[in-house]
Amino acid sequence: MTDVLSLAGETLLSPLVLFFALGVAAGFARSDLTIPDAVAKGLSLYLMLAIGFKGGAAMAAYGLGPEVLAALAVGIALSFALPLFAFPVLRGLCRMDAVNAAAVAAHYGSISVVTFVAATSMLQTLGVAWDGYMVAVVAAMETPAILTGLWLAGRSGARLGESSGALGREVLLNGSVVLLVGSFAIGWITGDKGLATISAFIVDPFKGVLCLFLLDMGLVAARRFRDGSAVNGRMVLFGLVMPLVGALAGGLLGLLAGLAPGNATLMAVLGASASYIAVPAAMRMALPQANPAVSITLALGITFPFNLTIGIPLYHAVITSLAGGTP
Amino acid sequence: MTATRPHHPRRKIEILTPMPLLNRVTALLKAHGASGHTVLPALAGQGAAGRWERGHATDAESCVMVVSVLGADRADALFDALAPLLADAGVAWMSDVEVLRGEKY
Repeated sequence: MTDVLSLAGETLLSPLVLFFALGVAAGFARSDLTIPDAVAKGLSLYLMLAIGFKGGAAMAAYGLGPEVLAALAVGIALSFALPLFAFPVLRGLCRMDAVNAAAVAAHYGSISVVTFVAATSMLQTLGVAWDGYMVAVVAAMETPAILTGLWLAGRSGARLGESSGALGREVLLNGSVVLLVGSFAIGWITGDKGLATISAFIVDPFKGVLCLFLLDMGLVAARRFRDGSAVNGRMVLFGLVMPLVGALAGGLLGLLAGLAPGNATLMAVLGASASYIAVPAAMRMALPQANPAVSITLALGITFPFNLTIGIPLYHAVITSLAGGTP
Repeated sequence: MTATRPHHPRRKIEILTPMPLLNRVTALLKAHGASGHTVLPALAGQGAAGRWERGHATDAESCVMVVSVLGADRADALFDALAPLLADAGVAWMSDVEVLRGEKY
C-alpha cells in the first residue's frame, strides 16, 4: 500500500502532471494563457514522429515475434469489443439516444496517443521496461472501434453520412495516423543507427515538448469542462468508470497473452483511453447527427485528466501486483 | 458624364460547414457548375450544439466558411442539394448580388 501511495505521489508530482495541472488551473481561472493553434498542432506532430520512430527502432532490435502478434491481436480485439460494452451503458445509464451512444462508444474503443505517450514517459521515470512494438498496437487500435460504432449506429437505424470508401480514406489517412505509422516504419528500417542520427531531436527534448503539449491539453480540458453543458452527471460518471473497465480488460488480456508487466500496463492504458483526434473527425463525417461536443467533452474533459492523474499509476500498480511484482 | 455600370446579377451562397464535411461541400459546388469558391477560416462560434473553437485537439468541431457566386439557376439547384448534407451540422444562406466581370461566373 505504501508503495502504491509513493508511486501515486511520484507520478502526481512529475513535471508532466504538474504542467497539465497548471493548464487546468489557468483555464479555470480564465487566464489569457494560450498556446497558439499552429504551435499546438506542431507539438502534436513532433510527439507522433518521436514516439513512432523510437517504437520502430525498438522493433528493429526486437523483431516480429509471437509476443508482438499476440499484443496486436489483443489490441485489435479490445478496440472492436469495448464499444459493445459502452453502448448499452450509455443507452441505459446515461439515457443517451442511439446515435450519440454509438459515437461516444466508438471514442472509448479507440485510443488516445497522448495518454499512451504520457504513460510511457511515466514508466520510464519509474524504471519500468516496455517494448517499442506497443506503438504498433497504438496504431492498430485507432480504427476497429470506429467500425463497431458505425455498426451499432446502423443497427439502430441511423443513416450514415459518408460512403465507406471516403470514410476509410479519412480514417486511414488521418494525419496523425500517417505520421505515427510512417515514423514507425522509418524507425524500423533504420534501426538503432537511424535513432542515433536524430536522437538529439527526438529523445532529449521529448519530455520538455510533452510538458508544453500537456500544458495546452490542460487549458483545453478546463475549457471543455467549463463549457460542459453538453454532458450531465451520469455521463461524467461514465467518463470516470469506463476507463477502469477498459483498463481492467486491457491489462488482464495483456497478462493472459503473456505480455511483460510494462507492456500489459500500456495495454491497460490503451483500453482506458478515449480518442479525441481521429475518431471525432470520422464520426463527424459518418454520423453528422451525433453531437461532437458530448464525446469530445467526455474524452478530453473527463477521461483524459482522470487517466493522466489517477489512472496510469493505478493501472501500473494493479498490473504489477497481478503479475506478482511490487509496484 | 458617368459611365454606365455593367449590371451582372448573380447569387452568392455562403456555407458554414464543419471541417470534416468540407470536401463534400466543395464536391457539390463543382458538380453544380460553380466556377470557383473561397474557403475562409472561422475562429469560434456558438450554435445548437454549444460553443466551438478552432483547432483545439481536433478539427471535428471547427468550421470554415465557403463562399461561391454563380448564376441563379445553378445556385438554386446547389442550394437544394446542400440541404440533406447540412441537415444535421452546418448552415447555408443565399443572397442576390451584383458582380463585376460577369463572364467569370
